Amino acid sequence: MIRQAIGAAVALALLATPAGAQTVSGYQPQDEDERGLWMVMDEYERQLQRSNFVIRDPGLNAYVNEVFCRIAGDQCEDIRIYIVRTPYFNASMAPNGVMEIWSGLFLRVRNEAQLAAVLGHEFTHYRNRHSLQMFRTVRDRTNVMSFLGIGLFVAGGGLLATAGQLAMISSLFSYTREMEREADTESVRLLVDAGYDPMAASRIWAQIRDERDARAEDRGHDGRGEDAIFGTHPLSEDRMVDLRMLAEAAGEGGERYRDRYTLMLAPHWQAIVDDQINLNDYGATRHLLDALAADGWTAELRYAEAELMRRRGETGDFNAATRSYEAALLMRPDMAEAWRGLGYALLRLDRQEEGRTALRQYLALRPDAEDAAMVAMLAGVTS
Amino acid sequence: MTARTGLLCLLLLLASCAVGYRIAPAGEPLQVGNSNLVVTAPNAWNRAGTLTGPGKNAELWTLDGPRLNEITFYGGIADGETLFRETDRRERPLPRFRAAMLPPEIAALFESSYRVASGTALFAMGAMAPADFAGQQGFRFDYDYTLRGEEIRREGRATGAVIDGRLYMITFEAPEIHYFENGLADYEAIVTSARIAPDS
Repeated sequence: MIRQAIGAAVALALLATPAGAQTVSGYQPQDEDERGLWMVMDEYERQLQRSNFVIRDPGLNAYVNEVFCRIAGDQCEDIRIYIVRTPYFNASMAPNGVMEIWSGLFLRVRNEAQLAAVLGHEFTHYRNRHSLQMFRTVRDRTNVMSFLGIGLFVAGGGLLATAGQLAMISSLFSYTREMEREADTESVRLLVDAGYDPMAASRIWAQIRDERDARAEDRGHDGRGEDAIFGTHPLSEDRMVDLRMLAEAAGEGGERYRDRYTLMLAPHWQAIVDDQINLNDYGATRHLLDALAADGWTAELRYAEAELMRRRGETGDFNAATRSYEAALLMRPDMAEAWRGLGYALLRLDRQEEGRTALRQYLALRPDAEDAAMVAMLAGVTS
Repeated sequence: MTARTGLLCLLLLLASCAVGYRIAPAGEPLQVGNSNLVVTAPNAWNRAGTLTGPGKNAELWTLDGPRLNEITFYGGIADGETLFRETDRRERPLPRFRAAMLPPEIAALFESSYRVASGTALFAMGAMAPADFAGQQGFRFDYDYTLRGEEIRREGRATGAVIDGRLYMITFEAPEIHYFENGLADYEAIVTSARIAPDS
């Protein structure tokens, strides 16, 4: 049995998130406060460098860095981006130049321009030294050593971040509305300068809000509260309107690079979708899959849909799952996992013979699968 | 002694039962997980109090400390229940067991429960096969996972069956270095000893 420790990852990101002179290329910390902050985050970075959660695939890292360099220009070298396997939407920026991006972001960002918008937003927090400003505000309220102590404790690992600790850290590191507005405004300008569609900034945040609303509706609550955890980026209506107006003022045009984005993410797609489906979050996952399928349903999307329905397993879900598995298999008859899922769904519908036939298809395609003995038993195969 | 201190002592005594450890002696049949699941350990283990367990029908045993080796007994999870106690039903609801679930669906329920409860995405299923459990046809599966901030890879094994619509399952997990291999024989002996006591 594991401890309930989701807060750890969230808290880490919150610590990293939240400096007024702008930094320039090759910037170094200027005074005691800033050096202290950098020191804490340097230790955090050393832990990150050893983490099993960092996705080190050279192709994806090169791509994200290339997009970042397009918008950050000569300060690109000062930032080190870490892609972390965590299935939620988050990007955070530490004062020493460590940017952390969670893998769940890639499922929610629809094209390269939207990725650039998020990177530009976080980069502005770094360039304008927002975390240093926040640190000085916080220090007036509380003890410096306990502030740094929280940082080390959170980054130290093996912990049970309680909701209380999380809320405290969250309140310490949430940016002011002014800082968020500054990051928004700058992100739109950076998009324009790099030749990206400036509307990408308002779209990504609107998508996140829509997803949150879909989740809340499915779970039967109002969606507030989530901002308490992922509160670094409040999703208010005002903010969407401001972003849209900024983009409209910047004028039409700019690239989105949807195809290039899709191509670069393709090798990671399955793992990212699997992570999402395992979250037991039907409303948000349904919303994400429907949005991704806006340009047409692929075999992979149909399979993901089928898995989502089968996992929920409510009335009608096994029938719906069966249809989606069949649609996936029409496009890709060699998709072993779809045969397996179809078999399970049919067995749950008490269509025993058809179910066993589908499971035998899986075994024919994957005779050495780790679950072959279990599937063979369910398929009625006697050895 | 006043009535008040008497009450306090009683509460402390109850609390120590609920959160402390007791010995699970070797060779003695023991009812576990507030249920009719009965097991016999080949060596003495430490039984955690009921509040330390992951859920109302679950009990935790360890030899050297829960992060080094732990056996968890799930004593008859009923249809519609979660595997663990839910700590955040609003934002992180756990998936629910259904009596009609196939063994691979129970494995998926287990994986999803771990991922939601711990926030980790580094969880992988290994081998899965049919297995006897408490005299019934059941299942066995292997898994491994790593928690963020801790970075220690743990291996795990689960053996169980659905009996009269309830999920009975015993899991063992430990760091892959040394502790998993070291505790596996005791775990297998405990699984072999498992039986369901007749309702009293």
